[in-house]
Amino acid sequence: MTIIATLLQVIPYYFDIPVLSNVASTATNAVLLIVACATFVGVISVLMVHAKRVQRRTEGWYFSGLIIVFVVIMVLTGLPLQEFGLGSKNSIFNWIFTNIQTPLGGTMYSILAFFITSAAVRAFKARNIEAAIVLVSGTLMVMGNAPIFTNTVPVLVDISLWIRNIPNMATMRGVMIGAALGAVALAVRTLMGIERGYLRGGGED
Amino acid sequence: MAFLIQGRIFGLICLLFIMAAVAYYIRQAQGGKVPKVRRIPGIDAIDESIGRAVEMGRPVFCSHGIATLRDSTAGPQTIAGLSVLNYVAKRCVAVGAKIVVPVRQPEVWPIAADIVETEYKLAGKAEEYSSECVQFLSNNQFGYASNYIGLMMREKPGANIMVGAYWAESLQLAETGSRIGAMQITGTAQTSQIPFFLVTSDYCLIGEEIFSAGAYLTNDAMLIASLAGQDVGRIFAVILGLLGAIVFTMGSRIFLDLFAM
Repeated sequence: MTIIATLLQVIPYYFDIPVLSNVASTATNAVLLIVACATFVGVISVLMVHAKRVQRRTEGWYFSGLIIVFVVIMVLTGLPLQEFGLGSKNSIFNWIFTNIQTPLGGTMYSILAFFITSAAVRAFKARNIEAAIVLVSGTLMVMGNAPIFTNTVPVLVDISLWIRNIPNMATMRGVMIGAALGAVALAVRTLMGIERGYLRGGGED
Repeated sequence: MAFLIQGRIFGLICLLFIMAAVAYYIRQAQGGKVPKVRRIPGIDAIDESIGRAVEMGRPVFCSHGIATLRDSTAGPQTIAGLSVLNYVAKRCVAVGAKIVVPVRQPEVWPIAADIVETEYKLAGKAEEYSSECVQFLSNNQFGYASNYIGLMMREKPGANIMVGAYWAESLQLAETGSRIGAMQITGTAQTSQIPFFLVTSDYCLIGEEIFSAGAYLTNDAMLIASLAGQDVGRIFAVILGLLGAIVFTMGSRIFLDLFAM
């Protein structure tokens, strides 16, 4: 089945065979339908896990209760029933999305700056020549993007651009080519039916 | 050959070449000539990290990334992560370690749950499996990240294995794992996230190493032989790149026309 499904997608990419293209397109649409149904599986998993925690009164069970309450509210108010005032234009749905979910997501994204600082303090130590190169180039990149430095030393912008466009770009392209070849090899192994690690019980001891 | 799509012929030739190389080395392996694979410290350390978690009485966290299986670039990374999960689940069940698998994509959750549950059943420990082992956290990127961070702060895993496709949340997850003292083995082919994993984890698999993990861990002769075929493709890409740069510098567009064939 894996081999047939893989060939069904690969062959129409290279060969203009209308019948196969139609079948591949139908298969892709079927996959999208299955994925849409899988969304409910996720919700059921969340409810099962957190309902057990509420039932057992484990540590922090009230947070699990809160999750369940919000899941139920969002599911009910987000139902596509415009005639009952539900759906994407429902005021409760929009209020929770605009005033709770969006700010929380923005908060999580913004604390990345502090995580980067924390990681940099640990990592940027000149223990050897390679670490020293990382430290110097990292410092130059930061300085080249901070107006407080670039206004007084304009050449920092050129240096940081050079670091980004020449050695960094070369390394990234090398890693990307390697990763692409690895993905192709994985696809070939899947196509040949010998890669079974992602299947249940796949692989040998 | 009118039915060959223009602009993709050279890609087809390259794909067939790599497939032929993989098939050749697999045939060699079936005849007993298995190529040697260099040691990958990150993959070797998986057993050590699970053993460490067992000694400390702490769970093992193993995630396979936040991408779907359908994405053309990130999907293979998710498959690689699931291959690693297969091995980690097998080892955890064997040594009696608790495994926790945080999941972002609902379509991947049944696959991950099936992998873990099957390992319990194969070991004759079906009754020890709990559906809470494999948890769907959130479809939202930072909802998943905050939930994962909260899980790590509460459960304090002894080992945190993250192999797959990650984006902005990678540093948050790895840094949190580092702060709680978990032994971390990470791996991704997302070039923008590799530096974050390198500075925060104990071992990092870079790029194509994650796609080799499944073959490396199973120690299957045919899978290892396929890695040699992958290397042939890499040599071919390097030669094409060098020749193309030289020829283009000399003013010829022959390689550009070849790639656009």
